[in-house]
Amino acid sequence: MQIFSFLFDRHLEKTVLAAAIALSVFMLTRPEDSKISAVRSISSFLLYPVGRASDYFTSVEELSAENDWLRERVVSLSYENERLTQFRDERNRLRELLGFRKDSFYEFMPCDVIARSSSRFHHSITVDRGAGSGVRPGMPVVGYRGLAGRVTQVFPSSSRVLLLNNKSVSVSCLVKRSRVVGVLAWERGNRFSLGFVGKEEDVIPGDTLITSGFGRVFPKGFPIGTVVHSTEEKTELSRRVGIVCMTDLNKLEEVFIITGGRDWEGGQAWLELEKSRREGEAEQRNKDGEGGEQ
Amino acid sequence: MTYLLRIVFAALVVFILQITVVHNVTAAGASPDLIMVMLVVLVIDRNPIAGIIAGFLLGFLQDLGNASFLGMNALAKSIVGYGIARYGRDYLPDNILFKGLLVFVACLIHDIITLHIATLFDPAEVIPAFFRYSILSAAYTALLAVLVMQIIDILPRRMVRSGGRY
Repeated sequence: MQIFSFLFDRHLEKTVLAAAIALSVFMLTRPEDSKISAVRSISSFLLYPVGRASDYFTSVEELSAENDWLRERVVSLSYENERLTQFRDERNRLRELLGFRKDSFYEFMPCDVIARSSSRFHHSITVDRGAGSGVRPGMPVVGYRGLAGRVTQVFPSSSRVLLLNNKSVSVSCLVKRSRVVGVLAWERGNRFSLGFVGKEEDVIPGDTLITSGFGRVFPKGFPIGTVVHSTEEKTELSRRVGIVCMTDLNKLEEVFIITGGRDWEGGQAWLELEKSRREGEAEQRNKDGEGGEQ
Repeated sequence: MTYLLRIVFAALVVFILQITVVHNVTAAGASPDLIMVMLVVLVIDRNPIAGIIAGFLLGFLQDLGNASFLGMNALAKSIVGYGIARYGRDYLPDNILFKGLLVFVACLIHDIITLHIATLFDPAEVIPAFFRYSILSAAYTALLAVLVMQIIDILPRRMVRSGGRY
């Protein structure tokens, strides 16, 4: 105890110095190979992080070259990814179209949209099938989600389709759940209203609207839209019903013309209606002319 | 703890500079001892035990670069660290020139010890090497130490000091 007290209390500095000198001399007197192995193990321990970092960042030039290569890969893969995304979307659309077609009783003629009207209030598209393919005026046109419009003009290899979002287009509809009948009319964008719906009729938001088939202008049962609001008007006898069209009419790329089907002749009724309308107009003109001559 | 880590980091940086850069800045065959500069800066205002430990560890770090004389720099720097801490604080005026002189003397003592060990106590080799290289190297190191201490004095205290010391 006295020795410890002498060493660590009274002469601590000298004791530490002596220990350091003794340790140094001990290291100096070790055999050469023992020193080398000790230095090697200590150095590798101390410089391990540096070595790892050095292995990782082998050289600035190498990293720069790798960076350039990766940039090229990013550009290349971005384009490829974009192309594959388009393929995927097209595949999904076609799958839906195929499913739609299999479930239907109607005959569909697939068409690609090749032009779109630039007019703000006359929304129409031009498709790549015309009289040569058997297309006739009045044939209904559907997208993969529902009704889109009607063929109004036919050319040898293309046709013009008047879309639903026109003020001049009216479609007789049924509420699928409650079988309430109304007439669809365009308001703005993809929003429509259902007219001639009585105040007491059962129409609620979420109801699906389908074509009624009345007048045989459009085939019965094609989905058109979903009811988004249905409100009673206190001062009126009718109900205000807001509809959102199922088909995004501004983003049509592929459509189907309904050329025929079970118990339904595409466009025939419309043609007959058009014919009778024209005859009525001509008759009226004749009457007016006779009245003028008299 | 943060202070200790800073010292360890600084020691590693100085060691790497010593083994990579110093041989490129030799003057008339003499090169500065950066580790000695760091030792002086670290222990000049500390107690002798801290001086011995710092000297031993820094010397040992330097010895890792030359396995044949493992322990040589640890021994020399332990003694020098003790001397600087023991006499530098109590007997040296607070003047940068005296500190430079202290570094110069410490380098000479360090070289005397290392030269004796490296030449296996052969005076015929120690004396010429001492006069040829050691004095010049000591002057070079002292000059560098003065410069470093002046720069440290300019830096904010919190950045380089702990408890009023470097």
